[in-house]
Amino acid sequence: MNSITLKERLRDKDRRRFFFAFLGGKAIGLLVAGLAIVGFGPWLIGTAAHAVAPNADVPIGDVVNATNTAWVMVATFLVFFMQAGFMMLEAGFARTREVVNVLQECIVDTCLCALLFWAFGFAFMFGVGNSFIGHEFFFLNGAPSTYGSTGIGFMAFFLFQFAFADTCSTITSGAMVGRTGFKGDLLYSIGVSGFIYPIFGHWIWGPGGFLQTARGGVWMRDFAGSTVVHTIGGIVALAGAMALGPRIGRKFKRDGGGLPPGHDLTIAAIGGVILWFGWYGFNPGSTLSALDFEGIGRVATNTTLAAAAGGLVAMAWVYPRFKKWDMGITINGFLGGLVAITAPCYWVNPFGSVVIGAVAGVVVVLGIDFIEHMRIDDPIGAVAVHGFCGIWGTWSLGLFATGQWNDVKGLFWGGGVKQLWAQVWGNTLIVVITFVVSYALFKAVALTKTLRVSEEGELEGIDIHEHGSPAYHPESAFMGKGY
Amino acid sequence: MLEMITAIIKPHKLDDVKEALLANGVEGMTVTEVRGFGRQRGKTENFRGSEYNIDFIPKMKIEIVVPAENVDRLIAIIGEAAKTGKIGDGKVWSTGVGKLLRVRTGEMGNEAI
Repeated sequence: MNSITLKERLRDKDRRRFFFAFLGGKAIGLLVAGLAIVGFGPWLIGTAAHAVAPNADVPIGDVVNATNTAWVMVATFLVFFMQAGFMMLEAGFARTREVVNVLQECIVDTCLCALLFWAFGFAFMFGVGNSFIGHEFFFLNGAPSTYGSTGIGFMAFFLFQFAFADTCSTITSGAMVGRTGFKGDLLYSIGVSGFIYPIFGHWIWGPGGFLQTARGGVWMRDFAGSTVVHTIGGIVALAGAMALGPRIGRKFKRDGGGLPPGHDLTIAAIGGVILWFGWYGFNPGSTLSALDFEGIGRVATNTTLAAAAGGLVAMAWVYPRFKKWDMGITINGFLGGLVAITAPCYWVNPFGSVVIGAVAGVVVVLGIDFIEHMRIDDPIGAVAVHGFCGIWGTWSLGLFATGQWNDVKGLFWGGGVKQLWAQVWGNTLIVVITFVVSYALFKAVALTKTLRVSEEGELEGIDIHEHGSPAYHPESAFMGKGY
Repeated sequence: MLEMITAIIKPHKLDDVKEALLANGVEGMTVTEVRGFGRQRGKTENFRGSEYNIDFIPKMKIEIVVPAENVDRLIAIIGEAAKTGKIGDGKVWSTGVGKLLRVRTGEMGNEAI
């Protein structure tokens, strides 16, 4: 096919000019690269002498802190990438007319959360203060080089925690797809990212938070956030969906309807798997230490096993209903398994993880049924996946913790009910107070008449009404001249 | 005698019209996603800070074949079900139908409806 020879090509003047320019450029490039290697090579990559004799003057602490920081940064980037997963999952499970809105909410929540967490969220959550709220490091002022005793660069720790806060704030938007006014979204997001998450999170993760205060040596444990991130996110989502009411025309199962199908299951499925991938930053990264190599491996494996069990069990649990292998519920199932294992992943063994994930697969399905029965419109399943599985996961630690690590021992391993009680008590407190505060927040936003879009806007489609643009444009010939 | 009713309506009114027709003895219909404009003309949307005009906006077209004596009643029913009172509600009209065949049974005319 390509029968023109180089000689024929060179007969053409333009081609000849291009050919020599190209060749010349290559030659100059090679020359520069060669000079650079000869001239700067030893300086850049070190000579053999460097490789043989490491500088013994470097204190061991410097190596440890740097290694830990690098590990936490890798985990941070993985957790941040979960935003892409959330966006794809939520967009895919939404209807065509509400795709731009849900994507925009996730993007803007991320932007808002970053600035709020910098300004005061981090200070409330991780600053030293009292047992209810921190007040240190506002606007990251007065930051030391490392955070506390973690040996992690302070800003690296901040960014890691921002990625978690962002996850929590994005979860809420999932249950509110299709009818939340954008101004209302901005207002409630400020409340969730700036106050609800950091303050309640301080109780469990912050220095001196009162849920960490030992009661007989046993206190509430939440390794990576089944309660802090997922229960809070899921319960805020529940309050939001209840305060908003269902989308117009949404018929519930017991009224002869059902959940409207998502518009793009390819995007939703890949989004779900990206979330799973991001979870390898979420859970293993929460060791906050690269040196705990055994812990990192254990957490990553437990995370995988719980997700796998959750996906399979949810699929099998739903199969008898219609004799179909439902993909949407399988995605919700493995996400439920991931949410559940988030709190106990450090303290349980692989077998415990499988059981925790499997139970989560059932919790997801029953939770979605329950939400549907209560006539609450949750298009993504955020309440069941994050809320209910977050609760189950936090409790499960009190059952399955083996006692091999940090003396955290659950009921099934002879630890009695002390750990279980701490888990249930702490989690229930968070559920109740989050629901009350966030429901009040949504009702307050509703008073400004910005929480829900007008009926007209919702019927036209929230994308065009709020953002002026559909997610999927028609053939450009429909748009008149110039397109 | 057979007639075909064609209705162009707002997309979100499709369900209401379908329910109204089903409640009034119509047993089947064909629906197409279409685009067009009437007196309302197009509308503007925006993308990355600039506006563009959509001349042809999305509508639903419903087609049903019915006995001629039912046409007036059914047109009124569609009109009522599809009405929002705002610009862009659409149009309903009928046209004569020559022959009609039900493919499966070979029935012709009124029996094939």
